[in-house]
Amino acid sequence: MAMIRNYLKIAWRNLRRNKVYSLINILGLSLGLSCAMLILLYVKDEVSFDMFHENVNNIYRVTQEKTINGKLHKNGNSGYLQGPRFKQNVAGIESFVRIQGGAEDIKKDGAIYSQKVLRVDSTFFSIFSFPLLEGNPKTCLKNPNSIIVSEDFAEKQFGRLNVYGETVMIRQDSIFTPFKVTAIAKNSPQNSSIQFDVLLPFKVSVEDANNDLNWYSYFLNTFVVLNPYSDKTDIEEQMQAFYEKDASGAFKSMIERYGGGQDATMGSYLLQPYSTLHLDTERPAQNGLSNAGNPMYSYILSGIALFVLIIACINFINLTIARSIKRAKEIGIRKVVGGDRKQLIIQFLGESFLLCFMAFAMAIIVVLLVLPVFNELSNKALSFSYLLDFRLILAYLGLFLFTALSAGFYPALVLSKYNPVEILYSRFNIGGKNYLQRFLVVLQFSLASFLIIATFTIYRQFNYLTNADLGYDDSNIISISKGYISKDKAKLFKNELLTDVNIVSVAPNNVGHLWTMAKLANEEEINFSYAVIDESYFPELKIPIVKGRNFSPDHPMDASKNIMVNQAFVEKANWENPIGQTVNFFYNQNEIYQVIGVIKDYHFLSLNQKIEPQLFTMISNISFDNFDIKIKPNSATQSLKHIEESFKKIFPLSPYSYVFKDDVNKEAYQAEAKWRKILLFGALLTIFISCIGLFGLTVLSSEKRTKEIGIRKVLGASVSDVMNILSLDFLKLVAIALAIAIPIAWMASNTWLENYPYRIDIGWKMFVITATLVVIIALITVAFQAIKTALANPINSLRNE
Amino acid sequence: MIKITDLEKYYRTEEVQTIALNKLSFEVKEGEFVAVMGPSGCGKSTLLNILGLLDDPDNGSFIFNGIEVSGFNERKRANLRKHNIGFVFQSFNLIDELTVFENVELPLIYTGVKPSERKKRVHEVLEKMQIMHRRKHFPQQLSGGQQQRVAVARAVVNNPKLILADEPTGNLDSSNGNEVMDLLTALNEQGTTIVMVTHSEHDAKFSHRIIRMLDGEKVTENVLV
Repeated sequence: MAMIRNYLKIAWRNLRRNKVYSLINILGLSLGLSCAMLILLYVKDEVSFDMFHENVNNIYRVTQEKTINGKLHKNGNSGYLQGPRFKQNVAGIESFVRIQGGAEDIKKDGAIYSQKVLRVDSTFFSIFSFPLLEGNPKTCLKNPNSIIVSEDFAEKQFGRLNVYGETVMIRQDSIFTPFKVTAIAKNSPQNSSIQFDVLLPFKVSVEDANNDLNWYSYFLNTFVVLNPYSDKTDIEEQMQAFYEKDASGAFKSMIERYGGGQDATMGSYLLQPYSTLHLDTERPAQNGLSNAGNPMYSYILSGIALFVLIIACINFINLTIARSIKRAKEIGIRKVVGGDRKQLIIQFLGESFLLCFMAFAMAIIVVLLVLPVFNELSNKALSFSYLLDFRLILAYLGLFLFTALSAGFYPALVLSKYNPVEILYSRFNIGGKNYLQRFLVVLQFSLASFLIIATFTIYRQFNYLTNADLGYDDSNIISISKGYISKDKAKLFKNELLTDVNIVSVAPNNVGHLWTMAKLANEEEINFSYAVIDESYFPELKIPIVKGRNFSPDHPMDASKNIMVNQAFVEKANWENPIGQTVNFFYNQNEIYQVIGVIKDYHFLSLNQKIEPQLFTMISNISFDNFDIKIKPNSATQSLKHIEESFKKIFPLSPYSYVFKDDVNKEAYQAEAKWRKILLFGALLTIFISCIGLFGLTVLSSEKRTKEIGIRKVLGASVSDVMNILSLDFLKLVAIALAIAIPIAWMASNTWLENYPYRIDIGWKMFVITATLVVIIALITVAFQAIKTALANPINSLRNE
Repeated sequence: MIKITDLEKYYRTEEVQTIALNKLSFEVKEGEFVAVMGPSGCGKSTLLNILGLLDDPDNGSFIFNGIEVSGFNERKRANLRKHNIGFVFQSFNLIDELTVFENVELPLIYTGVKPSERKKRVHEVLEKMQIMHRRKHFPQQLSGGQQQRVAVARAVVNNPKLILADEPTGNLDSSNGNEVMDLLTALNEQGTTIVMVTHSEHDAKFSHRIIRMLDGEKVTENVLV
């Protein structure tokens, strides 16, 4: 006890006496630890997604795989039939639930607004664990006119929670029908792929339920619950066998109607464990499921956490050894008066634990302070209570032990080994050539350089995505979405809008949602995006026409027989002269259309996707679903007023909402923009912590060489000579670190960039910048201590001799 | 109490081997006060470190209290040392982060003495060294003479059979030096064996016997009493 008190006393007095050193050491470690803690939280949240359902291990989503033209396509969605038919015909499937996303128009105090809803089967609450505040989970979805609302929705619609039995008016065709609230659910947990404010009973007509062709529509999610004793593979085989039998007729008629590529197969049905859905990028959460995750972020973050933690631990080791020179006398005396090595090891390990404990306590405070910002950046809602998880606490404890032991063990072993005679007679020279410390510095700077280069790459790529030229002008364009707008209504609305002088042009369209296939003149099939527009679309978005001409009301054939395509289409079709070429919509009574113009490729999809072939038409039997309205600059207020008035005049029963097109484009890369910030922060932190370490090493080196420097100065060395001597050693190590890090970082960056069809060119400049940056930062860090040593009076260092 | 026979110690660097002790033999009886003298580099301090079980001889025998200790490992040496030997150095060697009281208490902590007993013994020895009033001060706050008195207090607090003093007055002025020598003489009179390395003929005269060394060998031995 007395011994421990004595150790603590010494440790505490040492900390207080060397305030800068203590601060640097504790701060460095606590930054490393808090970074690791935050990331542990993030990763835990990601891997625990959807795990709160009691039955999660038996819940699977029905998915499909199909090879088309030699390419494997995975599909997480299904249609009306898969759930009920598999349940009825496959032993081991106990129940199923279909979830279909959508929106309904809801009336509140005379106003109409559009509300996202999920339509689900009545088994929903028996399969998933979403607690109800009120209502019967077994019966609440039985009545077709029932509605289940969340706490948030109840508050929004009624201003209170006890809304059981209340009525919500929902539009069915053109009539608002009362729906009765049969249950109030707690808000969905944030780590859930199923997020809902409103649940409505699933609807399917008898024709649809019996139509075998519906095996081939995929627009909802089907989940099944397996018997806990059944084998997943066995059930998949049963599903496949049943599907091949049940759908063979439908498959044949599909092939006859639409063709199906050279090697059309029926594809196979598979089960995707619900617990893996969130991080599955090939079969992501969509069509009613939300929060699709990406394991890449977890990997990148874990990498940063690991790097920062390793670097912080290395610092701790190096700084402790650096300080130990000052402690050498104490060690000698302790040995002389009877302390043995074991006791010294305990003392120094104890000190390491004490420092680590302080760093840990500080890290928890830092995490608490930074959590809101981190949540904002990572798009999460992690809370402190989240920290109080048994497994997380164990992980932190493990982290604490690992850090304290690994940081304390080496100093404890090295320091306790010193021969007291050598120490007390000043014959002592610490650590010989310090190979271990040199190795640690190289490792540390390799990690830091790697992270800087990786961050640069990711930062630049994300920057490119956020700022890239999309190939069209999205400024001053207001978009209004509204489903199924007929050509006539569109014309009416357009004319109404154009009565205002602030409206420059109006382009009704239906771009980017429809995909189809057709045959070229040489009988080859081609897949493309099918877009319905009018003649205003290209001029309004300033999309250049590279060959031929735009659609025009002066050419009557444009509305029935003529089409336009993008450059990607021309390339895929392998046309030398695109104008005049024909496209055969073989499944639509062999309608033949003629190309009259080619537009320059523009990014109608996300920049994360390649520009696919696109075909434009003005054919009148397909409705529009969007209006792009170009307004005069700085006229938003007046224009919006006029747009709203016009909308309500033409579509009185539809909810009105608008967005600015450039905002939508910016938002599309919000995640990337946030990750850019997180990474930049991570890299800065790594560099900062590395510098702390380097600073410690310079202290060590200059103290070790105090005598040498004293002699040199007595013999005439200048301050800059001394600085050169002290700096050169470290610069050599930093150079080695760069030589190791650059090729590895180059390879890693290239591999990562291959995920993106549109990407930056890495180039050599980034490496030069990184190398210069690292060397300059290292130099500044070293210079601080080197100058101090160089300016010191040599008499002081030589007097001990 | 001490009997060394043909003791040898070499210092090796990569190319040169220097002899620090060359077949050195002598004996120190219990209760004796022996001074070891000689020019710098003659092996005095090496000898003292071996006698203090801080260093190992390369050859020869070292019998301490009837036990051959030259082959002892570090733990055994530390154990023997903390119960039997006290050290006084030229440069005091106090721990800067500990107060006077805590410095003197340290050997008692390592030998596992109970807190109440520790306090009593530290107070006793501080009274004896007339430094009680400074017990809460840190070493930097004391004069050289006071620091050396604390060092002596620390050396004797465990009632060691042997005190090894390495130039105990080397860093002190003559009056403080004399005080320290008086303290050592008084301890010797109470039965503690003392081996002291010194350059000072004046200090050596306080001893019973002077061993003079040159190049690691014993040259002469004068009995004073």
